[in-house]
Amino acid sequence: MEPIGIFILAMVCQLYSCASNVSDSVDQMSYASVAGEEYLQGEKIVTNLEDKVYFDFDKAILDAKDKGLIDEYLPFIEEAKIVRLEGHCDERGTREYNLALGERRALEVRDYLIVKGISGKKIRVVSFGEEKPLKRASNEKAWSENRRVEISLY
Amino acid sequence: MKKTIAIVFLLVSSNIFSILEIEILKGSDNLSKIAFVPFGVEDDIDEDYGIQISNLIEKNMLLFAEFENLDKSEMLSYPAKEEDFFYRDWKVQGVDFSLIGKINSLNALGNLNISYSLFNVNRRIKILEGEINGNEEDIDRISKIISNRVYEKITGLKGIFDTKLAYVINSDSNTYQMCISDIDGQNEKVLFTSKSPIMSPDWSPDRKKIAYVSFENGFAEIFIQDLISGKREAIQALGMTNSAPVWSPDGKKLALVVSFSGNPDIFSYSINSKRLIRLTDHYAIDTEPSWSPDSKKIIFTSDRSGGPQLYEINTQTKRKKRLTKDGNYNARGKYFPDGRSIFFVHGNNGNFQIATKKLSSRFIETLTSTSLDESPTISPNGNIIIYATKDGANGYLGGITLDGKSRFSLPVKNGSVREPAWSPLAN
Repeated sequence: MEPIGIFILAMVCQLYSCASNVSDSVDQMSYASVAGEEYLQGEKIVTNLEDKVYFDFDKAILDAKDKGLIDEYLPFIEEAKIVRLEGHCDERGTREYNLALGERRALEVRDYLIVKGISGKKIRVVSFGEEKPLKRASNEKAWSENRRVEISLY
Repeated sequence: MKKTIAIVFLLVSSNIFSILEIEILKGSDNLSKIAFVPFGVEDDIDEDYGIQISNLIEKNMLLFAEFENLDKSEMLSYPAKEEDFFYRDWKVQGVDFSLIGKINSLNALGNLNISYSLFNVNRRIKILEGEINGNEEDIDRISKIISNRVYEKITGLKGIFDTKLAYVINSDSNTYQMCISDIDGQNEKVLFTSKSPIMSPDWSPDRKKIAYVSFENGFAEIFIQDLISGKREAIQALGMTNSAPVWSPDGKKLALVVSFSGNPDIFSYSINSKRLIRLTDHYAIDTEPSWSPDSKKIIFTSDRSGGPQLYEINTQTKRKKRLTKDGNYNARGKYFPDGRSIFFVHGNNGNFQIATKKLSSRFIETLTSTSLDESPTISPNGNIIIYATKDGANGYLGGITLDGKSRFSLPVKNGSVREPAWSPLAN
């Protein structure tokens, strides 16, 4: 795509952010609004549900158990203004690739939520790659806990 | 929407932060042995100054475990002039090269003339002769210039003693610092301190700026920081996450990654016009771009085959070529300075190590032996790789010569160091 095309796409997305046939544009808006972190001002909704979905190494696939976990969120998500999905990886492999992989994991959860009828407009996706591990150790147990998407509602 | 940040930071130079120090792990048994003879001094110059300059050159030359030295206490003579230099005094000690020098005072202001000679003891000839004028306070700089010339004469490679290293220090889980220092760990400067992660530093070819990724606003963004003014500026890529910046060899562009709707692709970004040109367009992850030395190609990582592998794209024709096939994880590739080989992170049986590959060959050669090695960066002369690795919970930097003969490490006293980026040569 030529730069002018990207620019036009960006303009279009700002003008018609709800148009369903330019789904890219909705994502661009949600990325842009991450910058302000405005939703972090709002109160975090406490659900007492498991707020992490875990993944296999170098994979971004949800299994049935993960989907069941996410399903429990659906009633709460109806009420929430914002769903924040934060993707993470373990320390193995390269940092920039992991940044992209963490994003892919968060998007996998987002796509599942959209399939379940949640509006993409209230979903915020961010990846920290391998930069924010939950566990600092270098072993299978720590790695499996670090490969995650954290779900939070506001 | 506009979030260009232009904060002027004073570049804090602080010795208490000077925490990188190279430790030699292994030198080969058959390294060349060099005698760094104390430089002679004129009557009115302190004798210690002649010893000091010789020690500094010695320290530089031994920095990467490429040579061994003859201890000054074992020397049979301390010649300062060619007529006092006798090859037999060095031959019997197994010395291959011997460096002598002399310091003359030019005036009362501390201006000095330093002359030096390098001898090949085995061939019994003088192979280098030179002189430098400078102030006595410039001893570090003078030593580096002499070290570079001696290194170049012995190895045939460019001397790298006035290069620098950029790296990220993570001293605790909430403190990240973008730092630069001389390649020997001296003169550390903290460019930027943040509570959020910092990654992917890359030097501009003129060494005046560093591009890096910071999460300070809650997501990955590219910043360019001027090393003289300290001024930082975010790159505006339509407000979306962007990452993995690398300068083009002419310094006019950055190759970088923009993720539109979660699909990261490689773009070329013109720094002056702020024009963004798409280079890849694939639903897979495309990331970790790096330019070939002639600017004609960009190497990148893509998982389009199912796992991360290295590809290169011709920036004109946009034609792509897969570069790696062996192993299920080959990523963050960069070209050697001669453009004929690449180095990268190679995953094999759960180990992640630094590997090299000639572009003309299909064989991957693994260079390092620890299991969590990443972020390799090469010396501008193409002879040494520094990379990040881990020991327990702490990250440190390792170094290895390309022949695998010499290894060293650059540990930090507190926390972790990662993301090394070797500067280009000074112009």
